[in-house]
Amino acid sequence: MSSTAVNDSPLIDKKGGRPKTSPSPWKPKKNKKEREDFPGLRSLNGKWGYLFVAPFIVMFIIFGMFPVLYSTVIAFYEFDPLAGAGGLSLEGQTFVGFENFIYLLQDDRLYTAIGNTFDIWFWSTFPQMVISIGLAAVLRNRFLKAKTFWRTILLVPNITSVLAVAIVFGQLFGREFGIINWVLGLFGVDNIDFVEDPLASHIAIATMITWRWAGYNALIFLASMLAIPDELYESASLDGASAWQQFRYVTLPGLRNTITFTLIVGTIGGLQVFAEPLTLAGTTDGGSTHQLLTLTMFLYDSAFGASSKWGYGAAVGIIITIIVLIVSLVNFLVTRKLASGEAK
Amino acid sequence: MKIKKFAAGLAIAGLALGVGVSVPATATAATPVTITIWTFGDVIEPNLIKQYKLIHPEVTLSIKKSDLDPLNGTNMITACTSKQGPDIAAVEVSYAGYWRSYPKCFTDLRTMKTSDANVNADKGTDKNGNPVDVTYIDSTGKKLTVGTVAANLSATSIKPNYLPWRWEQGVGYDDSVIGIPTDVGGLEVAFRTDLMVKAGLVTAAQVKNGTARDVLSKKWPTWSKFIEVGKQYMAKLSAADKKAGKGFIDNVGTIYAAVLNQGTEKYYRNNGTDQGQLIYKTNKNIKTAWDTTLNAHKAAIGTRIGQFSSDWNIGMNKGTFATMLAPAWMMDYIKQQAPDTKGKWDIASLPGGGGNQGGTQLTIPSYAKNKQAAWDFIAWYLAPEQQLQVFRTYGLFPSTKSIYGDSSVKDFKDPFFNNAPVGKIYSTGITKLKPIFEGKLQRGIDQAFGAGLGRVVSGKKNEKTKKPWTSAESWAQSIADIDKLTR
Repeated sequence: MSSTAVNDSPLIDKKGGRPKTSPSPWKPKKNKKEREDFPGLRSLNGKWGYLFVAPFIVMFIIFGMFPVLYSTVIAFYEFDPLAGAGGLSLEGQTFVGFENFIYLLQDDRLYTAIGNTFDIWFWSTFPQMVISIGLAAVLRNRFLKAKTFWRTILLVPNITSVLAVAIVFGQLFGREFGIINWVLGLFGVDNIDFVEDPLASHIAIATMITWRWAGYNALIFLASMLAIPDELYESASLDGASAWQQFRYVTLPGLRNTITFTLIVGTIGGLQVFAEPLTLAGTTDGGSTHQLLTLTMFLYDSAFGASSKWGYGAAVGIIITIIVLIVSLVNFLVTRKLASGEAK
Repeated sequence: MKIKKFAAGLAIAGLALGVGVSVPATATAATPVTITIWTFGDVIEPNLIKQYKLIHPEVTLSIKKSDLDPLNGTNMITACTSKQGPDIAAVEVSYAGYWRSYPKCFTDLRTMKTSDANVNADKGTDKNGNPVDVTYIDSTGKKLTVGTVAANLSATSIKPNYLPWRWEQGVGYDDSVIGIPTDVGGLEVAFRTDLMVKAGLVTAAQVKNGTARDVLSKKWPTWSKFIEVGKQYMAKLSAADKKAGKGFIDNVGTIYAAVLNQGTEKYYRNNGTDQGQLIYKTNKNIKTAWDTTLNAHKAAIGTRIGQFSSDWNIGMNKGTFATMLAPAWMMDYIKQQAPDTKGKWDIASLPGGGGNQGGTQLTIPSYAKNKQAAWDFIAWYLAPEQQLQVFRTYGLFPSTKSIYGDSSVKDFKDPFFNNAPVGKIYSTGITKLKPIFEGKLQRGIDQAFGAGLGRVVSGKKNEKTKKPWTSAESWAQSIADIDKLTR
């Protein structure tokens, strides 16, 4: 870097002084004196700040906000992408007002999809929570050898392609020759149809999700567990607490915030389940009784499935947004209750 | 004989043009052009691409493969609305009805004319006059020469080569020609000779002398007879075999489409309008196909394995099912998935006479940048000689009826299928089919009826009645679903 470039940097005192150590531009209010020493910081808070967030904002407007607004508009149209003038033009599309929404609220597929989504969410969240905390508790063990290796290996399922996971699990869950039915057969259980049976298919999907995310969440729990001071465990063991009692009364309360966090993240993920049921069902309509139709699949099927009704798909998207808002509100209330419970 | 005459005709035409137009090779040489092709599966065969590059050194073929559904769905819709995309796009017949509704997205191939770019191939030289090797070796080890295409050919002039009903699948509602057919998925019955002998339906001697397929074909001239034979087969299965889920046919659901395609109308009637008239509620042929499928289900002749599932691939190897309805392209699939069953398969004819499943059109989108080069390629790639080559090397059945009489099709025997004359069997079935008017939502309606059959066949519980779905309930549900789709 040339010296002029260095001098142009807002972090450098223009009068030629060398930069102070730890200028901490992120928390300028922390030390008033330090801020006065840095006249450049004021502008850093102003226009430079905008510049730094610009890449995200620009991307968000193009790929986040604009599609949301545009799909809100086309939800009021009978929108056929190939019928009109093409591109983003609304020319040639039929305005239908609230017709898509009225029809949607009478469409039993919507309620099937909501039911399926929450059922899959239930089966994937709670068993996963138990597994993750259990894994974290094992990794917390200070006598464990090759810690980094185990922690790394927990992340492997998470970086595997969803589609690959779905294909492999689809084979494991095969009705006739799948290994799971083979094992169950050893115990005299009849072959379960993991695609057609509603509950079995939801559990199959939940298994894929759990497999992918249990390790990831275990690491989050582990980080949180490591933050619990050792003194608490020491005094607990001095008081004669067993390993289970230590876990129950020291570890678990310490994980409360993390549990809330993983629940919220899990809920967001749960409302977006798509690739797994699509691959298992093999069709975008989620099977013969829509047993695998999730909300996002319903959106996809309406807009990009056989009918290509983009307006209807957009209306489904808006309904999903409303559901997410409701769930977020519930999350918020539960979190607040948990937080106040902690304060007691 | 026909093919020879045809080739000779082309050669003469080519020579005549070569002389008549007398474009010096060097003058037209090398304006490099890249043709982008969007395709799926094995529509574009790599060996033929190599050959085309030999005779067209100036052409680069950039091939992008994706899964069929995103390709013919979102990708092509996006391409058409944004008016940019490939020079050639492969459209599968299940999407044909949809894309025929939007001819504006495609170039009318009647307006295209092949350039003289292909005429040198028959002389064994590339465009610049340099000698190239334009021979290939087929699956039987025979050495053959790559075909050529004359100049000034439009879609109209090549139309007589193709099966009329197959050609219609690439014609838009405004009568423009939007796609040229690749292979045709003629439908027949593939059966396991060893299992049929075991069940006493044919004798080992009949399998050996190659009459087993005729014996079976005669046993099932109609679908109800086919179900009867299935029952006889099931009666011979041991209790252990039945418990292991073995069956006569892989999946009874496949019968539906086979029966429906044997009619002249499906879900739409051509009433002279672009959209056609929806007749899914009144067309008795649909109910016949539905009932036939459920009769087969009631007779319990099918396994519960879904096609293209992992169970299905395993079942194919293990002899879990004795028959499957096999489109011509399925022969190659069986060979790949169950190579150890070589010689144990054979092909009998489809009950009710003739059927089709699958097939593809090559189209030139209206926004293509290199239309001329794309048309030259399509005209060459889908010409009878090249389709013959694809048949001889990959087993995909040509849609160019002009070569069915050729000895290399007529007398072609496949050792994998007990030396069945597959060329003769498949060409007999598909020439019986009639054009069917395909509508925009064909695929969705197919899906809804398929789901309806699935509800009954899988024995699922109807949430409203708390009992397994009956045929009538499921039919009503499918009609209701289609009403939603077509509203």
